[in-house]
Amino acid sequence: MEEIVQHLAPLLREISGYIYPNEIELHWGLLVVIYPYLTGLVAGAFILASLVKVFNVKELQPTYRMALLTALAFLIIAPLPLLAHLGHPEKSYEIFLTPNKSSAMAMFGFVYAWYLMAVLLLEIWFDYRRDLILWSKSEKGIKKWLHKILSLFSSDVSEKAVKFDKKAVRIITIIGIPSAFLLHGYVGFIFGSVKANPFWSSVLMPIVFLFSAIVSGIALILTFYVVITPLRKKEIDMPCLDKLASYLFYVMIVDFSLEALDFIHRVYESEESIQILSELVSGKLFVSLVVIQILIGMLIPLAAIALVKILKWPAQLRIQIYFLASILVQVGIFSTRWNVVIGGQLFSKSFMGLTVYKMSFFGLEGLLVSLTIMILPIVILSLLFKLLPPWDENRNPDIVK
Amino acid sequence: MKNFLKEIPEQVTRIVFLLIVFIAAFLFIRSNLVPEDFGKTGHYRFSAIDEIISVDIKYAGQDVCNECHDDIVVVKDSSYHHNVTCEVCHGAAAIHADDPVEFTPTAPRERNICPQCHEYLPSRPTGFPQIISASHNPLKPCITCHNPHDPVPPETPKECSACHKEISSTKSISHHALIPCTKCHSVPEKHRLDPREYLPTKPGSREFCGQCHSEDADSEPGIPRIDLETHETKYVCWQCHYPHLPEAK
Repeated sequence: MEEIVQHLAPLLREISGYIYPNEIELHWGLLVVIYPYLTGLVAGAFILASLVKVFNVKELQPTYRMALLTALAFLIIAPLPLLAHLGHPEKSYEIFLTPNKSSAMAMFGFVYAWYLMAVLLLEIWFDYRRDLILWSKSEKGIKKWLHKILSLFSSDVSEKAVKFDKKAVRIITIIGIPSAFLLHGYVGFIFGSVKANPFWSSVLMPIVFLFSAIVSGIALILTFYVVITPLRKKEIDMPCLDKLASYLFYVMIVDFSLEALDFIHRVYESEESIQILSELVSGKLFVSLVVIQILIGMLIPLAAIALVKILKWPAQLRIQIYFLASILVQVGIFSTRWNVVIGGQLFSKSFMGLTVYKMSFFGLEGLLVSLTIMILPIVILSLLFKLLPPWDENRNPDIVK
Repeated sequence: MKNFLKEIPEQVTRIVFLLIVFIAAFLFIRSNLVPEDFGKTGHYRFSAIDEIISVDIKYAGQDVCNECHDDIVVVKDSSYHHNVTCEVCHGAAAIHADDPVEFTPTAPRERNICPQCHEYLPSRPTGFPQIISASHNPLKPCITCHNPHDPVPPETPKECSACHKEISSTKSISHHALIPCTKCHSVPEKHRLDPREYLPTKPGSREFCGQCHSEDADSEPGIPRIDLETHETKYVCWQCHYPHLPEAK
């Protein structure tokens, strides 16, 4: 008891207005912010990859495999923040063994498993199969065997088989697009279906989440492409980068319009919660929502990319501006997740007061664990780059088009 | 048939093989790890019910207390604490019911027990007796003045705030801080002894607030004023304005 009081006492000083006793401390912290951010990156990166295969956007070919591997690396880590947040990760397998159909959260395990196994791993396998066989033939030692096992001891590299691979990749991508929508739409659904919380409860939530996911995914691939290509001492493919930036721009416009629509809808509906929400947005969330999410994360990058397109600046300047814009977009989308998850818990259900979120550094819910979880996908991705090089020069020549 | 099998691409056979292995492994794990009686009557292990039943019972229940301590239970049941069962204060007493001589339940006499329910908290309901223990007869155990089995205050409360702490705290920081409660509520004397049976009145007409807030009222300058003839004529003032914390400045 004494411990709880000591823990809550500093929070109590920062509370304004009237709140219920169980609202002083937030139940969903930084880890729950990271979770939709990571799944968003997965869905976004996959949608970008699908542009190449389904919509035949040839310019984006150099980023296709990178986008797939990025989606995989982030997908592997995506459930970790949830497991850390819930505690007892050793019991998590039970949601698969005894599926509870009436729990949206429990069903996520299946959405995740479907997306990981039926979509991402399968698509990567079909896309890499021929290369895996050819690599294993020219390699020695562990790598040879690793590639052999990964190819599932497949050996057929005939034209017919490769044609089948391509067809399979296309079909999986077509199935993958609704799956990616489901994966991230689901995250929006979880928040959007919380009836008691007027900040979350909105049918637009899954759609807004989805488009912000695509924005963050494209921005991430753009960042990776701009950083990794010079590190590999290669030339950046400008048509590819321009196309990436264009798609980023278009999706951001849609995302911005959807968020504006949501905002206008709330203001026009003007439900009983509007007063406390406007107090929240103009007070505790002003910096993270108005300044970071909308201004720095949305309007400035939009204006920057628009300027680049209109003024047709030289390549080097374009690269720098695209890079900066993509970083700002990442910060903005992270802020979006923060504002939804943390912001949605800052106001009292009495609509009469606001509480405060204090982040800890150590502990399972702390900043340190969160940073580790954020860095892990990059570590996994660098390992994947070693194991399954996505670069064009590693491909067998006749696959490259 | 043989030709048909040959026609199946190598990739498909491998993926299907992997899928079969995966499904077989899943089914094997599932059959071993999911308890046999899971889902028999709901999304839980059926035998868990028996396990829970077999857990030792800690609480005896008030009916059992009543068998020996009926004199106290009768008093308590007609008091304000009629909804508070014996074991809320005296602790789990099944062990005492089994062996009254060997085990005696605790009888809390410290000052820190009663405030668990009666310490002032804004979220407690209006009229619920609340104190600020730091200033309410400090250091004196509650039971020196209050009998917990019939907890009427030793003296009839003089101030409304003794019971209506939340309203009085709210009002004390409002523009109406200096207006006494009885200006707006007429309180029957019996309300102090039987608050739920004899209720105070509420202002029933717009003219009541109009005494200070109508345009032609003879009240201090600076008080917000409205035209009673035109201002939301269908409502009594307190249907929109909370008189204990009026929002107008």
